[in-house]
Amino acid sequence: MSDAALLNLVLWLPVIGIGALPLVPRGRDGLVRALTLAAVTLELVLAAWLVVRFDGAVAGLQAETRLGWIRAWGVEYRIGLDGLNVLLVALTTFLGPLVVAGAFTAVQRDVKLFYGMLLFIQFAMLGTLLAQDLFLFYVFWEAMLIPMFLIIGIWGGERRIYATLKFVLYTAFGSILMLAALIYVVYTLPWSGGAPSFAFEYLYRHPPPAAAQTWLFAAFALSFAIKVPIVPLHTWLPDAHVEAPTAGSVILAGVLLKMGTYGFMKLGIPMFPAAARQLSPALMALGVISVIYGACLALVQTDIKKIIAYSSISHLGYVILGLASASLIGIQGAMIQMVSHGLVAGGLFLMIGMIYERCHTRDLAAYGGLARLLPTYSVFFMLLTLAAVGLPTTSGFTGEFMVLLGAFDAAWPQFQLGHAAPLVLSACAVLGVVLGAWYMLWFAQRFLFGAPRAPHQPLVDLGSRERAILVAIVLAVFALGLYPQPWLRKTELAARQYQAVLLGASAETSR
Amino acid sequence: MNLGLALTAMLPEHLLLLGIVALLVLEIASPDPRGAFAVALAATVAAAGAALWLHASGFAGMPFPGHYTVGPAISLAKFVLLGLAVPVLLLSRGEFREARYYELLLGSLYGACLMPASVSFLTLFLGLELLSLPVYVLVVLAFRRPESAEAALKYLVLGGTATATFLFGASLLYGATGSLSITTFASAFWLANPLALTGAALLVAALFLKAAVVPLHAWAPDAYEAASVPVTAYMATIVKAAVLLAALRIFGYAPVAPLVALLPLLSMVWGNVAAIRQSSFRRMIAYSSIAHAGYLYFAFLGGGPGRYQAVMFYLAAYGVMTLLAFVALPASGDDGVDDRLDSLKGLFHRRPAAALAIAAAMLSLAGLPPLPGFVAKFLIFRNVLEAGHAQWAVLGLVASYLGLYFYLRVIQYMFMQERTTELRAERARPLAWAAAALCVVPAIVIAVFPGWLLDRL
Repeated sequence: MSDAALLNLVLWLPVIGIGALPLVPRGRDGLVRALTLAAVTLELVLAAWLVVRFDGAVAGLQAETRLGWIRAWGVEYRIGLDGLNVLLVALTTFLGPLVVAGAFTAVQRDVKLFYGMLLFIQFAMLGTLLAQDLFLFYVFWEAMLIPMFLIIGIWGGERRIYATLKFVLYTAFGSILMLAALIYVVYTLPWSGGAPSFAFEYLYRHPPPAAAQTWLFAAFALSFAIKVPIVPLHTWLPDAHVEAPTAGSVILAGVLLKMGTYGFMKLGIPMFPAAARQLSPALMALGVISVIYGACLALVQTDIKKIIAYSSISHLGYVILGLASASLIGIQGAMIQMVSHGLVAGGLFLMIGMIYERCHTRDLAAYGGLARLLPTYSVFFMLLTLAAVGLPTTSGFTGEFMVLLGAFDAAWPQFQLGHAAPLVLSACAVLGVVLGAWYMLWFAQRFLFGAPRAPHQPLVDLGSRERAILVAIVLAVFALGLYPQPWLRKTELAARQYQAVLLGASAETSR
Repeated sequence: MNLGLALTAMLPEHLLLLGIVALLVLEIASPDPRGAFAVALAATVAAAGAALWLHASGFAGMPFPGHYTVGPAISLAKFVLLGLAVPVLLLSRGEFREARYYELLLGSLYGACLMPASVSFLTLFLGLELLSLPVYVLVVLAFRRPESAEAALKYLVLGGTATATFLFGASLLYGATGSLSITTFASAFWLANPLALTGAALLVAALFLKAAVVPLHAWAPDAYEAASVPVTAYMATIVKAAVLLAALRIFGYAPVAPLVALLPLLSMVWGNVAAIRQSSFRRMIAYSSIAHAGYLYFAFLGGGPGRYQAVMFYLAAYGVMTLLAFVALPASGDDGVDDRLDSLKGLFHRRPAAALAIAAAMLSLAGLPPLPGFVAKFLIFRNVLEAGHAQWAVLGLVASYLGLYFYLRVIQYMFMQERTTELRAERARPLAWAAAALCVVPAIVIAVFPGWLLDRL
């Protein structure tokens, strides 16, 4: 089978799974779980093969499929792997089986619908990443809303309906403005005859006039910024995260939030380079504000899920900082940080789900000294905490360090020219690292150490299913921390192209 | 007049007429006409088939010069109207057995078929009246509460007002131009004759009233709530579609001043906002249809052939999905209970297939991809932007965003809450499966291969 056919199979496997689910007889929940796990595991294997074969030295799309879809409008079904999406495709397919397996015991109600929705969102997320056509991208982007709406709203906590409506209404507002901008971009471009084209490749080569770019970029950026989320558009996130079931939180933190940063990287900035260059300092500032603000809020939370939720805002602030820094190291760091945050926050949410299944409370005050009660659990929790803090050898270190290095790298020449602001911002971002260590370690200290205390005793330590999930995550965290080289090589060319856009065509030579 | 031409060109209408005659004979022949439903269904399916055949064979002709014309596009419009009528008929099976119901329905359909084919105000008026008069009766036919009569009367009075306004507008145009041709409407704008302009404005008002555009919408929620489920479905889809098709004929390709879009825009906003407060399913759908009338008239901002394409596509997508919602709605025998939105709570646990179908319908009406409603909405706003009305398109999109909340609330009720009201045994409506299939299959085709339909428009 050719690579292109394999990539299509990776994308459409969840849909095949959804098609098979209604055939499972009523009451056979075990079969539903096994079927879903089989689908996402097969997907992971195929995607891993494609990602390994992905050649970072080749520019452009690999494993590309290009078919006419709505010919009258020039809309194509066009998917492919490139340096920007390859890491996130790996992350999405990697988290798939972990999310599915993680929900085996937690979800006992409407099992078929639940796994159907998990497969649906997997499909929509992969489609968003792989799409190389703006219309196709938008369809997948919006399609992510529906399954998440149901996942939070049906299997969530007490205030789930409020949380899920807030999530959807926030996100959809951004999308509607993006839709307006999208139509404007495509239909007001001057055409050299023939039908308009929605292909990214075409849109990159024909940016709209500079005067229109600012508004168009703002519309796209608003949509992406809500998804990330960037402070002050973040207020939906704590509610959605806290009320979502574990699987929903893991998908949300693991992949969905990255769609926002990926959107900036893939669409917002390359499609409107002039506006992006002009607004990148503001974006950088917002990134740093998110880092600090998220960390400060995480510091004062008493709900364990909220701590991780706010830490996500802080960690994604680094990604924005890296993407706006226009230095190669910073951009590559942002890409690594996206994957690292997906693994670490995903893992932490899974672990919070595990303790919640045992004790049914998320109140930090109810816990203490879990290291004695649940030794294996505590070891994994500590490892992930250290990765979140950014301890060297973990993926968190690679990502944050490269982003900060890149930010200083870009800020120093500016400082020599007399602009102190970027340097101050970079310094503030370093402060975020300190705050990050503070809230995470303080959290771990209260949670794991001290006098043993838990709402339900005796507690059963992790089972083999749970251990297998966590081992996979921890291995990935260390792999990315100790040896990021292969990933950096796969993304370098794409990062260079992205950097060239941000620096402007005149500064083609990258540092 | 060429008799052969008139026979072929009006074949769908003739088949409907044949059905009506057969029903009348049946009613006289046997006091308990059991076959009424079958006869009506056969006539409608045959008429739809005839329309499709006329479309596919590219038949064009003018059996009544200056009044009535047929072309492939018109035949396709008739096919859409008649095709939407089939699920409505299937839905009627459980509620109505008497022949007079089906006679009235077929009569109304006959009027609907005349409307897209009219080229003179005379034919158009004939079509409009033939479409509306039976519906006034159909609303009271489901007489269950005293309010039904009140709502039907309100509908009758406002419908009469629309008729009078239409006639007045047409006569003013006739006075100004000396012609009954519908092209005089478009010429009124460049003639700048105050008489003609007043006439054109009155015509627009009549068309807005018939399609329930704010502020001429007040009859719709009452009429929808009072009528039975199939009649509401008929009013929300086919009556609305026929009126819009007539508007398309009248407006032609003439560019429209953005001011005309102001009321449709208000309609979108008000329909979407007022729907939030409804506790009756049919009232909610009424406000939804007010908002959708807004979208449809909004599409007139786009010019040229794109306008026709956008409106037709939207009517098809909106029609099948609205019908799907009605078809999937379970029945417990007590219409008052079934109509309450509260009764939908926990529906997924009782009837998963029905809940999924209604959810798909709601998401499509909200315009979310990958459902057909998205492509339809995209098409409308694309045309408006392409015509250079960027600010209007943004306003329209934001107005459409307002609708998301009440559509999601229906899904929230069905999937996320448990039933609080008394539980009665619910059944699927008779023949609901067949009707649902007739909605779902076209919906999938429209959503997955929109190009296929676009090429035919």
